[in-house]
This record gives sequence, C-alpha cells and structure tokens, in this order.
Amino acid sequence: MWHARVFGGLAVLTLGIAVIFFSRQLPYHSDYGPGPGFLPTWIGYVLAACAVVVTAQELRALKQNETFFQPRTRMAIKVLLVIATTFLLFPLLGFSVGFGVFICATMRLMGGHRWVTCGVAAIGTAVSIHFLFGHWLGIPLPTGLVGW
Amino acid sequence: MDLIHNLYTGFAVALTFQNILYCSFGVFVGQIIGVLPGIGAPTAIALLLPLTFTINPTSAIIMFAGIYYGVAYGGTITSVLINVPGESSTVMTCLDGYQMALQGRAGAALSVAAIGSWIAGTGSIVLLMAFAPALAKFGLRFGPAEFFALTMMAFGLLTVFGGENPFKVIISTMLGLLLTTVGLDVVSGMPRFAFGVPQLLGGFDFIVLICGMFGVAEVFNSIEQPEDEGQAIKGKLRLRDMFLTWEDWVASRWAIARGSVIGFLIGMIPAGGITTASFIAYLAEKRYAKHPERFGRGAIEGVAAPESANNSASISGFAPLLALGIPGSATTAVMLAGFMMWGIRPGPLLFTQHADLVWGLIASMYVGNFLLLLMNIFLIPIFVAMLRIPYSIMMGLIVVFATVGAFSVNNSLFDVWMMLGFALLAYVMIKLKYPIVPLILALVLGKLSENSLRQALMISGGSPIIFVARPISALFMGAALLAYLTPALRWFWKRWRAAGQEARVGPVPS
Repeated sequence: MWHARVFGGLAVLTLGIAVIFFSRQLPYHSDYGPGPGFLPTWIGYVLAACAVVVTAQELRALKQNETFFQPRTRMAIKVLLVIATTFLLFPLLGFSVGFGVFICATMRLMGGHRWVTCGVAAIGTAVSIHFLFGHWLGIPLPTGLVGW
Repeated sequence: MDLIHNLYTGFAVALTFQNILYCSFGVFVGQIIGVLPGIGAPTAIALLLPLTFTINPTSAIIMFAGIYYGVAYGGTITSVLINVPGESSTVMTCLDGYQMALQGRAGAALSVAAIGSWIAGTGSIVLLMAFAPALAKFGLRFGPAEFFALTMMAFGLLTVFGGENPFKVIISTMLGLLLTTVGLDVVSGMPRFAFGVPQLLGGFDFIVLICGMFGVAEVFNSIEQPEDEGQAIKGKLRLRDMFLTWEDWVASRWAIARGSVIGFLIGMIPAGGITTASFIAYLAEKRYAKHPERFGRGAIEGVAAPESANNSASISGFAPLLALGIPGSATTAVMLAGFMMWGIRPGPLLFTQHADLVWGLIASMYVGNFLLLLMNIFLIPIFVAMLRIPYSIMMGLIVVFATVGAFSVNNSLFDVWMMLGFALLAYVMIKLKYPIVPLILALVLGKLSENSLRQALMISGGSPIIFVARPISALFMGAALLAYLTPALRWFWKRWRAAGQEARVGPVPS
C-alpha cells in the first residue's frame, strides 16, 4: 500500500505544480484588487507544500502488509466497467432500457442471481425509471432506439 | 413574545398535511438509510436533491432535515443488533450496545437510545430556537473580512476534526477550493482551468459532484468491504423488551443530559459534526463514571451518552447553517447546496426574509423527533428486515438515482461522465486515506471565501491588515490560526509527555 500512497502524494505534488503553472498565466493582480490568478496560485503552493510533507510521511511509514488492491477490488473494477459501458450505451438504448440492462448485469455479476430473476428485475427497473423519472417527475431522459 | 409568535408561525407551516407527510417520509427514509450500511445522510440527500426541483422549498428542507436526524436514530439499530454501525456517528454505540444485546438487553439498549435521542433532540431544538436568531443578529455585523475569516476558521477546524492526518485534510480542502475556481471568474470574467471545454465555463455543479463522490464512490467502497462483519443477535425482539427498568433510568439520566449538552455545543462548531460529538460524549461519560471498567461490557450510559450527543448535534448543526450560511458537516453542506438550488441564501437575513421556512423547519423538528420516538419503539422489526435487501440490488438503485440526479441538473450526458470521474477520484482518495468531507465543505464555501477575500482586499486597498483590524474578523482569524496549529501542538504535547514518562521510568531497553 505504501507505494500507492507515495504515488498519491506525488500525484498531488504534480497537480500542485501544474496549478501553479496555469495560475501564473492568469493575472495575479487587477485594478480592483486581487486578480483571477491570486487564489489558484496560493492553492497550488499549499498543495505542493503539503504533498511534499505527505510523500515524506508515506515514505517513512512502510506498511508493506497493506495493499491497494483488496480481494474485492476486482469486483469494484468490474462494476465500474459495467457502469461505464452502460453510459456508453445510453445514446443507443436510452436511460430506461440502459439501466434495465445495468441492473440485470450487476445482479448477475455481484449477487449471482438466476437469469430469470435478473430479467424480471431489468424489466421492472426500465418500466419504473420510465414512469417515475420520465412521466411523474418530468425529467427529459434520453431515449434510445426503442423510443424509451 | 417574539419567540412564541415565531413558533406559532412555524407550527402553522409544519402542521399542514403536506409538510407532515414530507416530515414523516423524511424520518422514515432517514431511519432506513441509517440502518443500511454503505449509504449515509449526505448520499441520500444528494440523490434526492435533484428530484425536489418542483417541490416547495420549505417542504423539501423539512424532508431533508427529517432524513438527517432520522439517520442518527437509525444507525443505532445495526450497532446494537449486529455490531455494525449503520453510520459513523453510531460507532461508539456498538461498544456497549452490542454487549447489552449479547446479554439479552437489546430492547433496553434500543429504547434508551431512542428516548435519549428524543430528549436530546427536543432540548436541542429549544436551544436552537434561542440561539439561532441571536446568532443571525450577530451575523448581520459581518462584512467581507468577517465572512472570509469565518470560512478560514471553518477550514482550520477541519484540520482538528476532519481526519487523522492534518496535511491530507489540507490537501482535500485545497482540492475543494481548486474545483470552485474552475469556470468563469465572476469579477474579471476570465475563464479559469476550463481548457477550452465549453461545459466547464460554468464550473462544476455541486449536485453532479456529490452524486459521484457520495453516491457512486460509496458503491465502490462498499463492494470492497468484507461481508458479514457482525454477528446477528438471535431471537425476536418483543415490545415488552423495549421497556426500561427504574435502574436503567437512574443510570442513564445524567448520561443523556451530559450527552445532550456536549452534542449541542459540538454541533454548533463548523466542522464539529455528529460523529465527533458522539465520540466526545462517550469518552466524557467514561471519564466521569464511578466504575469506568463497566464501559465496553454493556453499560447503559455507554449507549445513552453517544446517542443523545449525535442527535443533539444533528439539530444544533442547523444553527451555523441557517444563521451564518456556514455548514458544519457534509450533510448540512449538501443542504446548503439545496438552498442555493431553490434560490435561497442561508445567512443572517434568512430569519427575516424567509421566516416561515426557518420556523417551519424548526417546528417540524418537534414533529419529526416525536415520530422517530414512536417509529423506534414500534417499527424496529421492519427496519431490521431492511437489512435483508441484497447489496447487489441496493447498489444498482444508488447508481440509477445518482446518474439521473447528475443528468437532471443540465440534461447533459457530459455531467453523467463528470459524475463518474468524481466517483473515481473519491474512491481513490478514500483508499489512500484522504478525507472527502473537507473537499465537500471547501467546495460549498469556496466561492464565498474567494469573493469575500477579494472584496475585503478591494475595500482595504490590498492591505491584509483588514483581517486583524476588525475585532470579529481578528477573533475568527485567531481561532483559525489556533486550529491550524493544534496538530503541531498535539505532537509537541505527546513528545513532552513521552519524555516526562521516560524520565520517571527510565529509558526503555532496546
């Protein structure tokens, strides 16, 4: 875990430096007081300074037994991929059907439910979303090829 | 007389059929959220926020307040029955509550928690009624320098209460502030960190961000948690098990009183929070106890004190939010976003411009607390049954609500992807032990902080002396400085004590 935390510290340091770099392209002062670059510049400095301290702390605390990837991290990544795929399919399937497919996939993936149960849940979800959000709350949800 | 008139106005608003319904719904949902591990009050409110666009703001805030203090009640049930805190604010309840349950006294533990919470909540509402208007009057004396100093104090207090590592707290706070700078600068009109992306010119929407950081990120984190941590208590809970004995009353009465006062005071502090209140109340109770060795082995005071404190703090947390516009916790930060969404700016003028909303909300808390007491005594089996919902279904529903919530802000799929991006950021931050709450509070207070800073420096002609020349501002700045120095002072104190101990005992042989 320590190396992940060290990388985390270094990532914050990089961000801090980038913030300072981009902030310096904005005016620090203006005719009417501090300019738009004033606060971001200081945020960058504080981020970079704290990142140096945190990185040093993480380097000193070498807890090798903690790992970034827990036994169930793979499952979390799978769910993330399912979510991202669902989002990619929204223009094609629309929200209601897309989420129906999503619920079916996650129930099968995480809960190991039977296909029939997943299918019923998927249809129930699609219908519920269509009527609850689309009709009752009037949110203009994107529709796909099915028209839902 | 003013107070009675205001309360009358408040009850006239709170006791309408519609508002009683929203209050009941809020406390019921709050209880369920509290029972279910992996979803908290800020997540629930964040997910429901976009659905309240068309609801009257008073009804919506009454519902959200009900969720907030309902969560503090609900988390107790799992803490006592299965040793898994539904909420971080009920962690301390596990220590003695679960032990009581193992001894066959689960009913008494749940009852003392419900009654203690009700007494503390009601007492806290009375104090809120007395303090909040006075705080709002005090707030009328604030100018830009005072508001900037107040936000600095809130950020400073985060380093004390916000997490284990103060540097990580500061980094999280800075990330929140950085996110508020994205988009068009309101003073000069220049784009900042938009990198030519037109959707970023308006900045990040708070709802998109919290739907990702609290909703979807929580899903990823919950998936990683090991299952079945707690051992469920066998047997049924009967109504007669819920009644307290005279000895229980005698043992817990002062614990409830002390917990209520501690909770009220800590809830009033920006960044204090209900979790801190419950921790301090438990530790204080243990310190004052004649037999501290009973704590952790089923002492009823160990349940009464933290439960009273967390409920009291959840109510008093509304004082800085309503009177000054400064949220004290992630949940009140999300509520502040709601106020802004409905076009209402909490702060000193709220009590005069929206008196019906403020007093309606306060009066609804009496109603909500009473409903919660009844629900906690009579509906516990239903809440326990909720625990049987498989997480594979719960998780899917959270993602659906978060996505629809993020989309509904601007009807844009770009926001949906942004939400997923923020969820990933929060997930990685939590894994690397960076706290999320400071980021959220900084995000809510960032604009106020920057605008106040720039206005104050414009007034003073660029001189920072303005922040220490005005007494209120100087006081807040002093408190902020002290808060930032607290971790260092704590470190020196520990070293000094260790050195003193070593001098008495002698060096430890290596």
